[in-house]
Amino acid sequence: MSLLRIEGLSLAIHDYAILHDVSLTVAPGQIVGVIGESGSGKSMTALTVMQLLPEGAQATGRVMLDGQDVLQLSEADLCGMRGRVMGMVFQEPMTALNPIQTIGDQVAETILVHDRVSRAEARERARQALARVELPEDRFPLTRYPHELSGGQRQRVVIAMAIALRPRLLIADEPTTALDVTTQAQILKLLKRLVQEDGMGLLMISHDLAVVADMADQLVIMRHGRVVESGPSPDLFHRMQHPYSKALLAASTHQPDRAAQPQEVPLLEVRGVIRDYVTARKGIWGKPGTFRAVDDVSFRIRRGESLGLVGESGCGKSTLTRAILGLEEVQAGEILLDSQPVFTGHKPNRAVRRRMQVVFQDPYGSFNPRHRVERLITEPFHLLNAPPQGAARDAAIAEALESVGLTADDRHKYIHEFSGGQRQRIAIARALIIKPDLIILDEAVSALDVSIRAQILDLLADLGDRLGLTYLFISHDLSVVRQVTDRVLVMQAGRIVEQGETAEIFDAPAHPYTKQLLSATPRLPDITDA
Amino acid sequence: MSGGGLIRAALTNRSLVVGLVLSLVFVGAALISFIWVPQDVTALDIANKIKPPSAAHPLGTDHFGRDILSMIMVGARTSIAVAVVAVVIGMGLGVPLGLAAAARRGSLLDEVIMRGNDLVFAFPSLLIAIMITAVFGPSALNAIIAIGIFNIPVFARLTRGAALSLWTRDYVLAARVAGKGAVRISAEHILPNVTNLLIVQGTIQFSLGILAEAALSYVGLGAQPPIPSWGRMLADSQTMISLAPHMAIFPGLAILLTVLGLNLMGDGLRDLFDPRIRRDRR
Amino acid sequence: MLHYVLKRLVSLAISLAVASLVIFFAIEVVPGDPAAYMLGMNAQPDTLAALRDQLGLNGSIPERYLSWVGGMLQGDFGTSYTYRTPVAEMIGERLWISLPLALYALTLSTLIAFPAGVWAASRRGSVVDMGVMGVTQLGVAIPNFWFAMLMVLVFAINLRWFSAGGFAGWEQGVLAGMKSLTLPAVALALPQASILTRVMRSSLLDTLSEDFIRTARAKGLTRRQVLWRHALRNAMIPVLTIIGMQFSFLMAGAIIIENVFFLPGLGRLVFQSIAARDLIVVESVVMLLVFAVIVVNFAVDVAYAAVDPRLRGRR
Repeated sequence: MSLLRIEGLSLAIHDYAILHDVSLTVAPGQIVGVIGESGSGKSMTALTVMQLLPEGAQATGRVMLDGQDVLQLSEADLCGMRGRVMGMVFQEPMTALNPIQTIGDQVAETILVHDRVSRAEARERARQALARVELPEDRFPLTRYPHELSGGQRQRVVIAMAIALRPRLLIADEPTTALDVTTQAQILKLLKRLVQEDGMGLLMISHDLAVVADMADQLVIMRHGRVVESGPSPDLFHRMQHPYSKALLAASTHQPDRAAQPQEVPLLEVRGVIRDYVTARKGIWGKPGTFRAVDDVSFRIRRGESLGLVGESGCGKSTLTRAILGLEEVQAGEILLDSQPVFTGHKPNRAVRRRMQVVFQDPYGSFNPRHRVERLITEPFHLLNAPPQGAARDAAIAEALESVGLTADDRHKYIHEFSGGQRQRIAIARALIIKPDLIILDEAVSALDVSIRAQILDLLADLGDRLGLTYLFISHDLSVVRQVTDRVLVMQAGRIVEQGETAEIFDAPAHPYTKQLLSATPRLPDITDA
Repeated sequence: MSGGGLIRAALTNRSLVVGLVLSLVFVGAALISFIWVPQDVTALDIANKIKPPSAAHPLGTDHFGRDILSMIMVGARTSIAVAVVAVVIGMGLGVPLGLAAAARRGSLLDEVIMRGNDLVFAFPSLLIAIMITAVFGPSALNAIIAIGIFNIPVFARLTRGAALSLWTRDYVLAARVAGKGAVRISAEHILPNVTNLLIVQGTIQFSLGILAEAALSYVGLGAQPPIPSWGRMLADSQTMISLAPHMAIFPGLAILLTVLGLNLMGDGLRDLFDPRIRRDRR
Repeated sequence: MLHYVLKRLVSLAISLAVASLVIFFAIEVVPGDPAAYMLGMNAQPDTLAALRDQLGLNGSIPERYLSWVGGMLQGDFGTSYTYRTPVAEMIGERLWISLPLALYALTLSTLIAFPAGVWAASRRGSVVDMGVMGVTQLGVAIPNFWFAMLMVLVFAINLRWFSAGGFAGWEQGVLAGMKSLTLPAVALALPQASILTRVMRSSLLDTLSEDFIRTARAKGLTRRQVLWRHALRNAMIPVLTIIGMQFSFLMAGAIIIENVFFLPGLGRLVFQSIAARDLIVVESVVMLLVFAVIVVNFAVDVAYAAVDPRLRGRR
């Protein structure tokens, strides 16, 4: 007997088709993982079950929950079901809570909306719900406000709200995507425990095969609003039929071919770098404090090497990047590129800066929307004393664009005419145009869908071989770092806690933090035999 | 797009069109008044005073027998000139201040600019006009200065707020990596991306300027006789309102319609610019 | 919370000090010799000297500033040159008209704008919404003093429901006084209510599109419950800013509207003083109004903290 049965669901929003003939089932106590890239319709499927669709949505088919078709229910009936029969957890914990209400009140509200109980009783049950999501009252009083909690703790509050009435079905839409990997592991474990304790069904939506593979009983793979394949996990990984599923799996574990061997000469040397920030004063007469974002960091990158830098948010990797790029001065230590300092006499050294470039994470925010591609990618010419003019400039633009797989004619377009993957190629072209030695990849593939990510990684490997580039690959995603780097640095709270050959660190981590990171990283089942 | 969405889109377009037409009518009237008016506004014709609308005087005459239509046309010059110059002052000083404050966010400069803004906000333009007039006597220039000063913090705050969010964009970081300084980045990357906002706000301050100018000349702190202005026409009409309501109604309508037109235009422009910005962010 | 309020108090004190400096310089230093300015061209040297002495103009500029501020702190605003009465007394009398008028208008504007804004936002895109937006579009564009004149024409001259101007005096009873202030207050309130309605609506719509609204809906709250329990209080933050700013516009607007209704308030006082070149009175009235605006903005800042726990700082 299934708890949720979606049959032939199609959905259109303002006459634009989103879902086509989607069918899936969730049994009590079962975890069903829905996987897809952006635009696959996975989130819309979830919102259809909750009937929280945007205006203008038209759904056909059947969505049977607990014997009732939610598509046929009145809004009043649906309000009675939301929170009681079905609960939902969203992707972005930082904005999912009302900022001006205490967490106790927000959890208690779920109970007060549905049950005729006193305020005191509702608070008591809220206390229990928060304790169940491991936010015990002695450490997290009900009077806390959301801004006093971390992202992971806020996500726990959202989960507490969703499970306070022990609903039959819980829907989790990318519940851990915005979280660090260790927090992600804790939240996934919590969800799993709640499913077991309450025997509820969990519909878990994710873009990350590995996250779902670890915990789902059943997998549903979606693409362009259709279910392309589904079946029990982990067997499905061995018996994938549909070419898209296979491609998705291949892309998730993609290992680019890299031929070049790093030379023994150091290109970048970082020695004893310290970066302090001044923090707000405590009280009107208090002294401003300091926060040490980077604490005595030393390492070197050899010419032609690909060095990984991993760490969770707030560990200081962005600050370190800005220091290397010469955007901020450090308080102690030195940063040398080919034995030349990045900062000389409190000023960034242009001769050094023109030999380094960077590619950022967000393919959408990395470009001024008002400039054409040619102007965008030639911006680094500003670092040259005699930038190429006329035909030489045209040739440089064409070469940069062609080397990243675009055409010379793309120079006349605006950035909104390109997809996310193409934009990331343009970002690489911008980095290449002044022929730097070192390229810093700051989460450069983190925002991309896996199939696009695989292509960009291939491109980077190819360019590295052909142009003899050195990469500093900064990422929170350990599996990607493993695939593309020679050596890796692990950073925690401003310090490098471990460094070494990538393979060695991943196989035999020495530092407890590295061990913790690695064990928290979700893994795809081993399918080498398939 | 649904039917409702289409209707709404058409309506917003309509507000732009209606606003543009209304604004152009009054700007046109002001321009035409330089070369032609139905009747000379400096010539008094006491025999024909306070006449209701007629074929000879479509909007009637005032207490000196002057043609009200002509007065409104010439008065439009004063209103528009004062409001436009005040917007230029506000933008010319406010935008660079806002850009500078955003470029050096959290610095002493930022703090001084923002506190200065707060201070000016505590002086409504009427109070500035009162102070200037108390010391220098009334004139149209007072109105311009008073409204212009009040516009500075409006533009400074708007620019700073928008610029602050642009400074966090990766493309600004990319420009810094390319070795560009704060002034260059403000000119190349920040300013072009706040222009839309500035145009919309400029339209709104233009309309507020017309209202403020009318109020100031109504209480005698703005343009002085014999320069016709809408606010003073209303002040003159006040004692005769039961006798000659047309003297009060038409200049007031002129203010209302101009301000309405400019506001509609501002709304229309905002809707026109907004979808592109939204598309961009996705 | 205490820390936040203390910080605001410090900035309040600084604002007041700087504002008083600006006013002092504009009125007492820029014109050169205020006494000569007040007496005009043909002043006799001995009358000039007497006035200088009376105004305390013989000291240095810092001394004069300090004695002006020191006097104000003790409630002494100086003596009017034209009326020969203490300015504090004159202002005190007039304030009994101008302040009730501004508060009356603020109350009206808030009472109209809240329901109208909520109503329009909760029925976004409907006829109601379009109607409310259309009316507010007109309300924003109408000059308040002209609207006041039209109301006099209709309600005072034609219908004779109200008197065309003047003030009954509070000694005639609160109701009679309120009645004299009703038309002026409505004229003042209409444009402000229109602005506030628009701000209320758009702030509410912004809040309704936030993530936490969807979370609340997922808990089983109806649209109406979400609006009242979650959206409204969050939407108040920008609305409070506007209410604070409106107070300064209302004080300034009151000065103008008093002219239409011949109300003996601060506005009339200030214009008579300008005409009589009585700088002492002008200076005091401007300082008082600026003081009111700054204090109201301080109150708004404190109100923010009451609404938004994030401003109260971490515990």
